Amino acid sequence: MVELERLVVIWCPLLQQEGPRGEEARRFVQVVARAGETCPWVHPIRLGVCALPARGPSRFFGGEEMVVRHLVEAIDEEAHVGVADGLFAAVLAARSQLIVPSGEVDQFLAPWSVAVLARPELAVTLQRLGVTTLGQFAALPAAHVSDRFGADAAACHRVARGESGELAGLRDRGIDRRLRVARGEDPDLGAEPPPYQPGFFGGASAAEQRAAVSFARVQERLGVDAVLVGRLRGGRDPFEQASWVPWGSPEAERGGVGGSGVGAPWPGRLPPPSPTRVLEVPQRAEMLDAMGHALVVSGRGLLDAAVDRLSIEGGPWQNVVAWAGPWPVTERWWSVRRRRARLQVVMSDGTARLLCNERAQWWVEALYD
Amino acid sequence: MFAFDAQKGTSSGSGRSGSRSRSRELPVGLADRVRPTTPVAGRTLPVPAPLVPLFPDGALRRGTTTTVVGQPGHGATTLALALLATASQAGSWCAAVGLPDPGIAAAAELGIDLRRVVFVPHPGRGWAEAAGDLLPGVDVVLVRPPGRVNGTVARHLTARARDRQTALVVLIERIGEWPQGGDLALSVGDVEWQGIGHGHGHLQGRRAEVVVSGRRSAGRVTECTLWLPAGSGVVAGVETVGAGAAGATGATTTAQGEGGPGGAGPESGPEAA
Repeated sequence: MVELERLVVIWCPLLQQEGPRGEEARRFVQVVARAGETCPWVHPIRLGVCALPARGPSRFFGGEEMVVRHLVEAIDEEAHVGVADGLFAAVLAARSQLIVPSGEVDQFLAPWSVAVLARPELAVTLQRLGVTTLGQFAALPAAHVSDRFGADAAACHRVARGESGELAGLRDRGIDRRLRVARGEDPDLGAEPPPYQPGFFGGASAAEQRAAVSFARVQERLGVDAVLVGRLRGGRDPFEQASWVPWGSPEAERGGVGGSGVGAPWPGRLPPPSPTRVLEVPQRAEMLDAMGHALVVSGRGLLDAAVDRLSIEGGPWQNVVAWAGPWPVTERWWSVRRRRARLQVVMSDGTARLLCNERAQWWVEALYD
Repeated sequence: MFAFDAQKGTSSGSGRSGSRSRSRELPVGLADRVRPTTPVAGRTLPVPAPLVPLFPDGALRRGTTTTVVGQPGHGATTLALALLATASQAGSWCAAVGLPDPGIAAAAELGIDLRRVVFVPHPGRGWAEAAGDLLPGVDVVLVRPPGRVNGTVARHLTARARDRQTALVVLIERIGEWPQGGDLALSVGDVEWQGIGHGHGHLQGRRAEVVVSGRRSAGRVTECTLWLPAGSGVVAGVETVGAGAAGATGATTTAQGEGGPGGAGPESGPEAA
């Protein structure tokens, strides 16, 4: 079971939408500033919603109730404050002005309508099937959800089960820029160094502060999502092992390397060295044997012939001088039906790639640069 | 006379002990645990032991520009990332700009402390500005420009790195892509993967010829053979880690029993000249 970050969310019902006079963004800037004077690491999520990690302030003020009280007192606007595990539940908790006990997210989410996922098509389909609440949705077998509705629905399902707090669309990527404009600053010029709170509840070294200021500057320039820290978890392949989180986000505050399972001897995991470049978008590839037949992975997970040449995205054929595998990929429990196999390939120019076969299609997933 | 001699003796003696105490180094155990408190502590940043021979100072020198040159797929990314490993472990902050889709697992295997490194994988046209923003803030900035770099931009970044005493590492495909060539250029030449055959084994290590050139190499061209990376994912010298526990031999000899494509000759690496 994944442990979700405990978050405080401030939800301002009157500031969710930009009105004709555009003063909502300016007022929300004030909310973020006031909250930031009380607690560190207040991050705008979207207009009218901001979040901060609960743990530090809770220790400092003596409990989550006290944190909520201090925040409500500090903010002049109408603001609902809530605390829960993971961002999705914390936003709902704020709307309801609740502190949801740690570890009980799934129970808290169960009675909410599937509509709160903000996936209208999925909601309609589910409601036709008689699935109207997040609890009913969570009860569906995960493999079925993934197979039938796809990856985004699988992500929603994980959220409904309280296993994840992040959902595409939950954060407005342009919010920082929007707030800069609202502050009357030029969003394209990072002239003013952004405020940084040095070790609010701990203490940060001078080097750390200096680094933080420079990272925040790049975030001002390119967006919060542009500056990332990598985290490593146990996993079977380079994709499952890696996760990126924006620097400075509550998720990143828990430290760079998620300790759980790192280096664990996962069955089916590719042995090191791992590829240095893991393609965000895999490249379609074709592989032939010496007779010019497409290479097929048999039901027993074996290649039907020796690899001879490879073409990537319709490019020229390159000779393959060595290969290893295929390694069958035993997917995560929620998509257990996917049958995939991986192959390491070395080309005549000395470069090596990691390929994956799924439904008779080869993909280049990673490069060993 | 006696008193005079004695005084002379003691004064010279105390002088010697004074200079000795100034040059005394940290105890071995403590040196691993101390962390720099400011980015300007010390003039060099440590690199993994197998890479020490590549550097005139035995380490990355603050304020200098090092280019890492290699065709895609030949291990230049591995070498460039390895330059962040020991520094990040020692507590230095590092940033990598423009490195597309970096493999986090590979970075960790190379020894990088992921808590000390931020990545800006897709800076787009703002790569130079992002690198410029980061130079004053961290100890090492690794940047991969999207192509040939304009002279003004390169001069600006080089000067900023020098002013801020930050080590700038530039990852490029050909040496001409960075106009001034950098203070030091590490060029990856011939490479060969080992451990993988026709349907058996797995990628275990990549033996690579690395040629060192540039202004700060003091005119000498050094060449050595490295594992980029070795089987565990770290970089290693070929003489210390043989693919099949090969015995220790000279640093630039070809690994035994493999008959690699003759890459160990002193004339290799023409692009680094």
